[in-house]
Amino acid sequence: MKNWEGDEDEFCTAEEDYKDALAVCDHLGLPLRSVSFSQEYWDTVFKYFIDEYKRGRTPNPDVLCNREVKFKAFMDYALELGAEKIATGHYSIIDESNGGFKLLKGLDPGKDQSYFLYLLGQDALSKSMFPIGEIEKIDVRKLAEESGLVNHAKKDSTGVCFIGEQKFFKEFLKKYIPTNPGLIETTDGKECGKHDGLMYYTMGQRKGLGIGGGYGKQEAPWFVAEKDLDRNVLIVAQGHSHSSLYHKQLMADQVHWINGSVPENLSGISAKIRYRQADQICEITELSVNKCTVRFDKPQFAITPGQSIVFYHGNECLGGAVIENRSFH
Amino acid sequence: MPYFDHSATTPIHPKVLKKMMDVAQQHFGNPSSVHASGRKSKAIIEKARRTIATAILASPSEIIFTGGGTEANNMVLWTLIQSEKKHIVTSSIEHPAILTVLEKLEPMGISCTVLPVNDQGRVDPKILEKSIQSNTGLISIMMANNEIGTIQPILELIDIALKHDIPFHSDTVQTLGKIPLSVQNIQADFMSFSAHKLYGPKGVGFLYKKKGRSLNPLIIGGGQEGKHRAGTENISGISGMGEAVRLASENLSKRMSHLEALETVFITHLNRECHNAVINGCPNHHLPGVISVSFPGYKSDILLAKLDRLGMEVSNGSACGSGSIKPSPVLEAMGISDSQNISTLRFSFGRDNTEKEAIQLVKALGQFANG
Repeated sequence: MKNWEGDEDEFCTAEEDYKDALAVCDHLGLPLRSVSFSQEYWDTVFKYFIDEYKRGRTPNPDVLCNREVKFKAFMDYALELGAEKIATGHYSIIDESNGGFKLLKGLDPGKDQSYFLYLLGQDALSKSMFPIGEIEKIDVRKLAEESGLVNHAKKDSTGVCFIGEQKFFKEFLKKYIPTNPGLIETTDGKECGKHDGLMYYTMGQRKGLGIGGGYGKQEAPWFVAEKDLDRNVLIVAQGHSHSSLYHKQLMADQVHWINGSVPENLSGISAKIRYRQADQICEITELSVNKCTVRFDKPQFAITPGQSIVFYHGNECLGGAVIENRSFH
Repeated sequence: MPYFDHSATTPIHPKVLKKMMDVAQQHFGNPSSVHASGRKSKAIIEKARRTIATAILASPSEIIFTGGGTEANNMVLWTLIQSEKKHIVTSSIEHPAILTVLEKLEPMGISCTVLPVNDQGRVDPKILEKSIQSNTGLISIMMANNEIGTIQPILELIDIALKHDIPFHSDTVQTLGKIPLSVQNIQADFMSFSAHKLYGPKGVGFLYKKKGRSLNPLIIGGGQEGKHRAGTENISGISGMGEAVRLASENLSKRMSHLEALETVFITHLNRECHNAVINGCPNHHLPGVISVSFPGYKSDILLAKLDRLGMEVSNGSACGSGSIKPSPVLEAMGISDSQNISTLRFSFGRDNTEKEAIQLVKALGQFANG
């Protein structure tokens, strides 16, 4: 499926990816169809992505892409053609029991992708298969090599899919959002530099601040601690352990539960506030249909508005929400 | 597997394949070499040239072998760069092998008038006449369109070119082997042909260039093809093309009546099975066996994939565009709405298709798009 079209060809590996897919399908004797969902992607994912950046937040387009494009537009297309299920290469496991469908973490702890799938519901899971979820990635590559697939050693894809490598990110965003440069201040209000626009920075970011290591008494690096949208000021803190970089509590909205309703037992849960983070012990202290407040056992580094918090009960992914705000206590 | 996409390409005729294999196995000499092997290869090429010239009633020296129809088109269009008259008139339903080239030429000072077509895909000769400027150096209008099969009023269009003494080029890749074509009748100055559209091999074609008309080479090097196209000749491809053209010419009336019969069966059944289907193009002037049909309310990519699953191969829009479903510019130029445009399939029959297959195709369509 092709979900992006436009003048970003310089960043885009779609044509090469298509050739790899064709080689693999040809080798396996499978029909390959190419279909474009670029309109759907633009309407349901990209507009939101840009709006979130305009609000100074750091959105996660991949979770939306899964819900709106892969497990909706693409699934509808496959069903229309007569498919019963779709199979994707996500490192996760679907467990069917008692007529319900649970989403479990993939076997490979380093590759588990349940974080990106927390917006799926029962209907989508009932029509999906994740055939490599129970295999370690290294074994998937081995299997691919043994089967003679040309892409067995292909580099893992990283970054936002339609932008490509991270180094293009700033250039890309500039095309869609006007830049609004401003000042950088330390947590105690001292001016220490200039920023190119708050949208280019994310919580906890260390690189690219342009603050000389020599500023301040210590040589410790600087990190983004806060964005003051009203004053268009980026606030930075020195040293990874600086207290302003850690919060114990967050508020999130757009709550979604995979089984369709609030799980009966929410005690003993944990959460991830970013992909590949270790599970963090937490407690949902307030919960309504749409919103929740979450308290962590340990203070969390760089809780980032716009990113998703995803809840787990052991290996089961329960659902999640989009981080709205955070507080120290 | 029923294949209904002969406007995209055709399977190689067994006799053509035999010819090519014989040549490839036995004759490797470079046609430019003076020894026996070279002379033999040269003789094979010249024989193919004579065969092709005979088929379209041209003189052998008017046939230039190329790497296909696209290259032939490019040769003619790029010649404008060195012409004093740098304006060209073309139509809005040309193949990208014309329109994309003209886009590329524009910043180099080649201006272009793109003529509209009517709702049947035909150019009005009166509009052509009005578009001619004092610096018009070329008129390029395809003889028949690949997507809708519409045949242009080519004789009237050429008359206008003759009257104003402007070279006339026609992209004729879709026509040879489907309708009568001779340069005695169609007095164009240039015509582009492709072997793989008439059961010949891919990667080989030819340009007809009327004696006396000037042409600049695109590919420069050795002196092959009368210095018009450098590079050691594709001997087996050219001999295969010669055989394909000979077969097309000898069997033309048989092939035409076969395609007409298939078309009649297809359309009769279609009217019965798919009540809402709309046939696009010009009923009175079109290539036999090339039919564009819209199925309102159904997306062509879905229909195409469903037919593909049954092993029935058809096309939507142009075969060159892959992946996304974009409205066809040809149908757009005919004033067809976007919603009808993206619900359009093209069926193009060939010599191997049977009436039974045509009926099977309609049955499948009736199942997928009978609303």
